[in-house]
Amino acid sequence: MGLNYYQIKKNILRARKLVIKGTNIAGSGHPGGSFSMAEILGCLFNKHLKFDPNNPQWEDRDRLVLSKGHAAPGLFSNMAVAGYFPESEIDTLRKFGSKLQGHPDLKCPGVEFCGGSLGTGLSYSIGIALAAKIDSKNHHVYTIIGDGESDEGQVWEAAMTASKYKVDNLTAFLDRNFIQQDSYTEKIMPLDENLESLEISEMWKDASRWKTGDKWRSFGWNVIEIDGHRVEQIDAAITKANATKGVPTIIISRTIKGKSVEHMEDNPQWHGKAPDSDIVPIINLELDSQFMIAPSIIAGDMTNLENEIKRCVTGRADYIHLDVMDGQFVPTKTFDHNKIKELRPLTAIPFDTHLMITEPVKHVKDYVDAGSDIVTVHAEVTDESSFGEIHDILKQNQVGVGFSINPDTELPEWSYKFLKSLDQLIVMSVVPGKSGQKYIEETHEKMTRLNSILKQHNFSGYVEADGGVNLENIGSVFADGARAFVGGGAIIGQQDVRAAIRDFRNEVLKSRRYGLLAKANELGGSDLVNKWIGLHVIGEKQEQIKKIAQEAGYI
Amino acid sequence: MNEPIMTDMRSEYSKSLIQLGKENPNVVVLGADTTDSLKTSGFGKEFPDRFFNVGIAEANLVTVSAGLAVSGKTSFASTYAIFLPGRAVDQIRNNIAYPSPPPGKKGLNVKLVTSHGGLSVGPDGGSHQTIEDIAIMRVIPNFRVFIPADTIAVSKLTRLMAREYGPFYMRMARSKTPLVHSESQEFQIGKGITLRDGSDCTIAACGITVRMALEAAESLQQEGISCRVLDMFSIKPIDHEILEKAARETGCIVTTEEHNIIGGMGSAVTESVSESYPVPIKRIGAQDMFGESARDKEVPLLLEKHGITSFNMAKQVKEIRSKKL
Repeated sequence: MGLNYYQIKKNILRARKLVIKGTNIAGSGHPGGSFSMAEILGCLFNKHLKFDPNNPQWEDRDRLVLSKGHAAPGLFSNMAVAGYFPESEIDTLRKFGSKLQGHPDLKCPGVEFCGGSLGTGLSYSIGIALAAKIDSKNHHVYTIIGDGESDEGQVWEAAMTASKYKVDNLTAFLDRNFIQQDSYTEKIMPLDENLESLEISEMWKDASRWKTGDKWRSFGWNVIEIDGHRVEQIDAAITKANATKGVPTIIISRTIKGKSVEHMEDNPQWHGKAPDSDIVPIINLELDSQFMIAPSIIAGDMTNLENEIKRCVTGRADYIHLDVMDGQFVPTKTFDHNKIKELRPLTAIPFDTHLMITEPVKHVKDYVDAGSDIVTVHAEVTDESSFGEIHDILKQNQVGVGFSINPDTELPEWSYKFLKSLDQLIVMSVVPGKSGQKYIEETHEKMTRLNSILKQHNFSGYVEADGGVNLENIGSVFADGARAFVGGGAIIGQQDVRAAIRDFRNEVLKSRRYGLLAKANELGGSDLVNKWIGLHVIGEKQEQIKKIAQEAGYI
Repeated sequence: MNEPIMTDMRSEYSKSLIQLGKENPNVVVLGADTTDSLKTSGFGKEFPDRFFNVGIAEANLVTVSAGLAVSGKTSFASTYAIFLPGRAVDQIRNNIAYPSPPPGKKGLNVKLVTSHGGLSVGPDGGSHQTIEDIAIMRVIPNFRVFIPADTIAVSKLTRLMAREYGPFYMRMARSKTPLVHSESQEFQIGKGITLRDGSDCTIAACGITVRMALEAAESLQQEGISCRVLDMFSIKPIDHEILEKAARETGCIVTTEEHNIIGGMGSAVTESVSESYPVPIKRIGAQDMFGESARDKEVPLLLEKHGITSFNMAKQVKEIRSKKL
């Protein structure tokens, strides 16, 4: 089974948008903490949690306890996406008579715990887990606790108890976003260590100063530390936790409060505040503008692909692009599924397998079995029937479905019906077959044509730009609508992959900010532009964005 | 009156739990390092898989009990009275009373049973003498609150709580208590018990003060005053019917309890009667001040300081009769 990466990501995006919608209509609520745990909940709801939305009281369901109950909008949004109730019901959040209370409540079928008073969810989860053990039941308990919440002594009472009773059917997540209501956690009540200065960002970057894991280890817990916004890391951690017997596991997830919306990120003001109505469309556009960077390892040392994978890992790639060439569909030959299978254990980062081979339908299963998380096949070598078959195989195995067109190829009409369920569309901007080519400028125009077709057919996947993408053109390629970027020589060909990826991101970010400013200007002129800029109070964002707005003449 | 037979509430509670454990595999028992004192450890020996000692962590005790209950268990959680309602009221409210699972249940199925209630705790002193627990517990929606007068009540109420879904609080005394009920006495939620009939006044009592009330009524009888005695073991829900009847038929009421006169059983009786058939009421109990150490033999002195004696009950009856409307 694949990671189901794209489906999870799509549903996380849907849930995030519902959080914005719900809190905006309610006029209050907690978007910050809902967003920091968005990937954790997304991974649980879309991959690991056993549940039946039509039978919320199903005896053998896994239990999800949201101890940091103020993040209720995040929970409710995921429940809506999962089908417990219509997504439109999020409009009733916090309203009189609604089952969507200000904090999670059993009034809403499917909610397992009445949250709100912090520090109690772990004890409650222990009770549920102990009951399951008494009854010899196999369901699992997942509990999300906050770092601010960890000030509560009861958390540590529970930590001891879970350890004493070897509650291994419980997995806790610590949503370590470093922010609580008043300010940064390390200012209010340090979980890691006392701050020497007020410079908190330095501490965040320095994992060696994070002591929270040691605390839990000393309480007898199995501790796994991850980046809490990386779906593949969360997935791997859950799998590891579930396989750990005899001790409870806590997955300490380094997260960012308000993640995915720049002005909310790392900003204590967004602990408990709703976005204004005029800002909501800009936020939604920002959420729709998430992007990923995928280094292509064939641009590196073909004799040591293992090392190229490692460079992608240290470079913090979002996923890894694997170009499979068979020497027939394209003149070059690279590697096949056997190599991918060898590389798979080296990382949990999703594998983006791009099949540049003839008759892909014959081989697609091999690439699924090798551990691909997404498999892309070419329009030039598929037809409605064979692509349909490929599509079904991939979906059944929770592997993302990708479709690719060469520079000279238009999207075939037969493929339109697949667009809705397509996870990725690769628009080749060089002729495939060899690396080091220049970006074909006509692609910009092609993207404009494609966008209207994609919109018309409800495409909700990622458009991936592949070929000749570099620091000079990535901003415009993003503006064209691409949301995933394959980096060959421009990334993997560089000495410092991490720096190259960071530069890529910064360029995209610039382009994205420009797009968001344009949206603000379109909706409310310079007043709204200024208001939106004013929301960016953390770090140097405000100055940077102001500069872009001035250059564009919006202010 | 005959010399009372003294029996131990905690032993009775323990016996009842073990019996319930045999009958019902869903009964679980939790303690917080007072399981030998509360004698719940007996259950632990019989049913080690259904017994959890969470250490000196009352908040955790309450919430773990709630988690077990939401999963279908009948949780009995016990420690000293001073450490449950006083210390863990947030957990009691938000983790037991507030969560109401579908369809239509009210609160979770947790029974908080405490010992060492009231002033009669004695030598441990004021820090351990809870005179606030009834006030705290009865103000929380969905909770029902009992104070048993003797071991017969303890046994029957423990069984009743196991049978009835929902949150309950029951407070026992530390020391041995005199038997006041017969083995055949029935106990119902929200139903007081008339232990002695009378027409001139009513004493409403609970816990260890029930026997004192009977003694007071006996002495009043010698003076030609007919005094009714009610065991108001069910403080919430309170028995409005029996109280209205007592008000109509006897015209005045004295309440007595080892709890602050503010917010306790006396308050509950006053609230009820003032809405149904207002008559003069005198509340006997801790006079809004804390207790203090008293060796076992001196406990009557401590109680006397707060007016909790049969002598004072008789005196108050005589005084309040003059205020009848």
